[in-house]
Amino acid sequence: MAITFTGVERRGRVGNRSGAVVRRRAGAYLFLLPALAYLAATMLYPVYSNLRMSVYDVNVGTFLAGNAPFIGLDNYRFLFDDPAFWKALRLSLAFTAGSLAFQFSIGFLLALLFSQPFPGSSFLRSLLLLGWLLPTIVSGSIYRWMLDGDYGVINYALRTIGLIDGTRYWLIDPGTALAGTIIANIWVGIPFNMLLILAGLHQIPPTLYEAASIDGATPWRRFWSITLPLMRPVALSVVLLGLIYTFKVFDLIYVMTRGGPVDATTVLPIYTYQLTFQFFLFGKGAAAATVLLVGLLGVAVAYLWFSRREEVAA
Amino acid sequence: MNLLASWRRQGYDRTLLALVAVIVYLFPVYWMVATSIKSPPAIFASPPQVIPEHPTLSAYREAIFDNSAVIRAMRNSAIIAVGTTILTLILAAPAAYALARIRPRGSGLFTLLLLIGQLLPGIVVAGPLFVLFSRIDLINSFPALIIADGTVTLPFAVIVLRPFFLSIPRELESAAMVDGSTRFGAFFRIVLPLIRPGLITVAALSFLIAWGEFIFALSLNLNDNIAPVTVAMNKFVGQYGTEWDKMMAVATTVAIPIVAIFIALQRFIVGGLTTGATKE
Repeated sequence: MAITFTGVERRGRVGNRSGAVVRRRAGAYLFLLPALAYLAATMLYPVYSNLRMSVYDVNVGTFLAGNAPFIGLDNYRFLFDDPAFWKALRLSLAFTAGSLAFQFSIGFLLALLFSQPFPGSSFLRSLLLLGWLLPTIVSGSIYRWMLDGDYGVINYALRTIGLIDGTRYWLIDPGTALAGTIIANIWVGIPFNMLLILAGLHQIPPTLYEAASIDGATPWRRFWSITLPLMRPVALSVVLLGLIYTFKVFDLIYVMTRGGPVDATTVLPIYTYQLTFQFFLFGKGAAAATVLLVGLLGVAVAYLWFSRREEVAA
Repeated sequence: MNLLASWRRQGYDRTLLALVAVIVYLFPVYWMVATSIKSPPAIFASPPQVIPEHPTLSAYREAIFDNSAVIRAMRNSAIIAVGTTILTLILAAPAAYALARIRPRGSGLFTLLLLIGQLLPGIVVAGPLFVLFSRIDLINSFPALIIADGTVTLPFAVIVLRPFFLSIPRELESAAMVDGSTRFGAFFRIVLPLIRPGLITVAALSFLIAWGEFIFALSLNLNDNIAPVTVAMNKFVGQYGTEWDKMMAVATTVAIPIVAIFIALQRFIVGGLTTGATKE
C-alpha cells in the first residue's frame, strides 16, 4: 500500500512582528524541532549519504573498514555502461506507462459513476479503498495465485471468454511477467486515481451542467464540452503524481517475481536493491538510487510547476 | 414500467452498477478467503469452485496455529506498527500545530521536506539507513524498523493534521493563555482533545502503513526474531510453492487487522484519505 497526498498549501505570511510575536516564534520551534530533526536524520541525511557514497568505491570490504577511496564519477560510468541498467530503466518506463494508462482510465470511469449521488454511494465507494489499503505482500500473493499458469482463475476466465487457449504461465514466462505485475499494480492503483479524480469532478460547478441541460446539451455533449476540458489540470496532476508513485514501486514486483524470471521484471528500484543489498556494491547502488531520485525530482518539479500555473490561471 | 422509472429516478440504477463494480473489484479479496478454506483437491478443481465445497480450516491450523514463526511475526508486526503509530503522533501533532498556528520562519522549508519525503523511494532511504544503523549498532532492532517506518508516516501525518488545527478557533487558546496557561499547556489540554478525529485518522493510517511495510523490514533487519509478518510471509512464497491454501490462509490472517481497523474506523480513514488527497 502506498498512501500519498498532494497537500500543497500556500498561504500569505503574517506581516507584523512585535516582540511578543518573536518570543512566540522562538517557542514555536520547540513544536517543530523534534519533527524537523527527525526528518533531517532520516531523509536529508540519506539523500546526502547517497550522493556521497555514489562517488566513493564503497563495497563490502571498504564499507566495514570505512576507508573507501574517492573515485569520482566511476560508479555512474559503470551504470551507464551496464546494459542491465538501461534494461531496468526501459522496464520501469513500461511498467509505469502500462499501469498508469489503465489505473487512470478505470479510475476516471469509476469517478464518473460515483460523482452523482445515489443510494449507498459513499458505502460502496469506501469499499473500493480496501484494495489500496491491503499490505502489498497480501495483494502480491493474491495475484501470484490468480495468475498461476495451471490453476489460476485469470487463465480460466480468459479461456472461458475465448481470449486465450491453453495455458499462459504469466509470471514464469519472461514475455508476460511484466504484464502480470502491471495487472496487479493497476488493481492496487485504481482507488487512488478514482479518489483524486472524484475530488476534481466535485469542484466543477453544477450550475455549468444545469445551464447546458437547459440549452439542450445531451449528457455526452456535456461530458465532452464541460467535464473533459475542466478536468484537464486535475488529470495532469493525477498523472504526474501517479508517475512518481508508480516509478518507485518495489515491493509489489519483488513479492511477485523477485525481479525475474532472470531480469524480466528488474525495474530500476529492484536493480538498485540488488546492487546494494545482494551484491553489497553500496557505491554503485547509491549511484543508481541517485539516478532514480533525480528522475523523480524532475517529475515533482513539473508537478509543482503545473499546479502553480493552475493556481495562477484560476 | 412506472416502477422502473421511479427506481431509476432515485438512482438505484447507479447503485446496481456500482455494486457490480465493487463486486468485480473486490473479487481478488474474496478469492483469497475462499482459497484459504478450500481442501487441496478443491483448489485444483476445474472449473474453479467459486463457492468452496466442503470448506475446511486445516490450512489455518497448519500454517498459523501450529506455526510459531507466524505467531511471533504477527506479534513483531504489532510491536512495530504500534511503535510507529506512537512515534508518528508524538512528532506530527506538534509540528502540524506549529505549521498551522505559529508558522515560524523555515515553515516553507519544512513543507518542502514533507513533499520530498513523500516522493523518496524506500530503496533510496534504505541503503543509507542501513549504513547509519550499522554504525550506531541499531541494525536488527525494533527501534530501527520503527524509525524507518516513520519516514513514510510522518509526512502524510503532518499534512492530514494541519487542516484540523486550522479549523480550531484561535480564541480558545488565547483564552487559556490569558488564564495563565502556557502555550504547551493550551496545546495539550485545549487543542489536542479537540482534534481527536484527526489524531484517530493519523493513528489508524500509521498503523495500516507500518503493518504492511515491507522494504525496510526486508533490508534493515536480518534477525528472524524481530522480523514482521510481511517478511515472514515473503519467505513462505518459496517454502509453500503451490500450497495455495496455506499461502492464502497466511494472507488472510495478515489482512484481518487491516480489514478490522478499516471497518471500525472507516469514517475517519476515508475522511482522512479524502481530505488529505484533495487538500489544495
